Amino acid sequence: MIEFRQVEKHYGDFHVLKGIDLSIAQGEVVVVVGPSGSGKSTLLRCINRLEGITSGTLTVNEVNVADKKADINKLRREIGMVFQHFNLYPHMKVVDNITLAPMKSLGVPKPQAVETAEMYLEKVGISDKASAFPSQLSGGQQQRVAIARALAMKPKIMLFDEPTSALDPEMVGEVLDVMKTLAQEGMTMVVVTHEMGFAREVADRVVFMDKGQIVEISPPEEFFEQPREERARLFLNRVLRH
Amino acid sequence: MPDIAIFTDNLEIYMKGFGNTVWASVIALLGSFALGTIIAVFRISSVKPLRWIGTAYVEFVRNIPLLLVVFVFYYGLPSVGVTLSGFICGTVGLTVYTASFVAEAIRAGIMSIPAGQTEAARASGLTYMQTMRHVVLPQAIKIVIPPLSNQFINLVKNSSVLGVFAGFDLMYYGDQVASKTYATFDTYLFVAALYLVLTIPLSLAALQLERRLAKNG
Repeated sequence: MIEFRQVEKHYGDFHVLKGIDLSIAQGEVVVVVGPSGSGKSTLLRCINRLEGITSGTLTVNEVNVADKKADINKLRREIGMVFQHFNLYPHMKVVDNITLAPMKSLGVPKPQAVETAEMYLEKVGISDKASAFPSQLSGGQQQRVAIARALAMKPKIMLFDEPTSALDPEMVGEVLDVMKTLAQEGMTMVVVTHEMGFAREVADRVVFMDKGQIVEISPPEEFFEQPREERARLFLNRVLRH
Repeated sequence: MPDIAIFTDNLEIYMKGFGNTVWASVIALLGSFALGTIIAVFRISSVKPLRWIGTAYVEFVRNIPLLLVVFVFYYGLPSVGVTLSGFICGTVGLTVYTASFVAEAIRAGIMSIPAGQTEAARASGLTYMQTMRHVVLPQAIKIVIPPLSNQFINLVKNSSVLGVFAGFDLMYYGDQVASKTYATFDTYLFVAALYLVLTIPLSLAALQLERRLAKNG
């Protein structure tokens, strides 16, 4: 479903992604971990072309993402994205946040879009907040709205870019629970996170990145119990020790 | 105490000027808003030549005195065979001049919207135009209203430049009343009062609008 072949990316002199090879199958949950600055978020953002790649090929749903002629908006409709800082539209009510893209991009009529929005709000457990503004919600609630907003486009793939990093600790659980449910329902997910518990429990495979490279790809049991690479061991020692 | 008779005796002259000042201001306000928005969009465009045009416009126009901008139209155009009235030259000059400030205010407003807003909108499949229209501009406009209302208040006052070019505005007719009555100070007090009649409601309207938009999220 997502296929990286020898993908390289440079920001000027800075080599962010080095020889990335990764293929992700439909229904798979891939969790990307690694120290900050290792290129995890960049890798994720290439998938829907929020970042361009310098060389190599990247195909998503059989579309060559780097192709200038590719209909990027069509591709993006099939890829939901959830950001670290939620990025809800502050001038719109929760329900309007969710219905905007389905109405404007897919042409869904308003009553139907609102119905879908309510369904997903119910799913993420905040059906009573439809007419609130984002600023009236807690961080955890905002992030769940953001997930509902992405799901309302009925995407084939969901990307999560450190979805719990900006949350107060007591709100992390409610967001991870929603993500677990999604994973169980068979959604194809790529998740960049520092939540090792989530990776261990939910991931089909863990991708460990360091300095722009994929160092190790393993099933979670293997990655957490006996990582093959020295760098992965050092990383796990640091993050798991507290 | 100013002599109210100076105002009432010359009411007709005052009102002619007042009317023309209102006209010049309304035309220049609408014109500079439209032109300023276009220049702002040029300045943030990803197309380089457009960005250069926008930047060149802003940097040239806002860095020379308004009087000289109007000079270009009043004294410059006749040399290429186009002669326009003082009113038109003054109003066009005012529009061109104010547009450079309006452009900067609007650009700053757009730039102040966090990149994450655009990213979220684009990632959901919205086009650049849809993102601007539904996500960025509605947020930017709230930020832009205070600096923009400043510019429009300046515009009303700056319209007095028409007086220099026989533009038949409030200042021009004020000069006439003054030279007729010799009561220079009182005459111009009434001129000032008439400018206030325009600018104070403008300030209040901006404040009102600001409050109303602030309420909605």
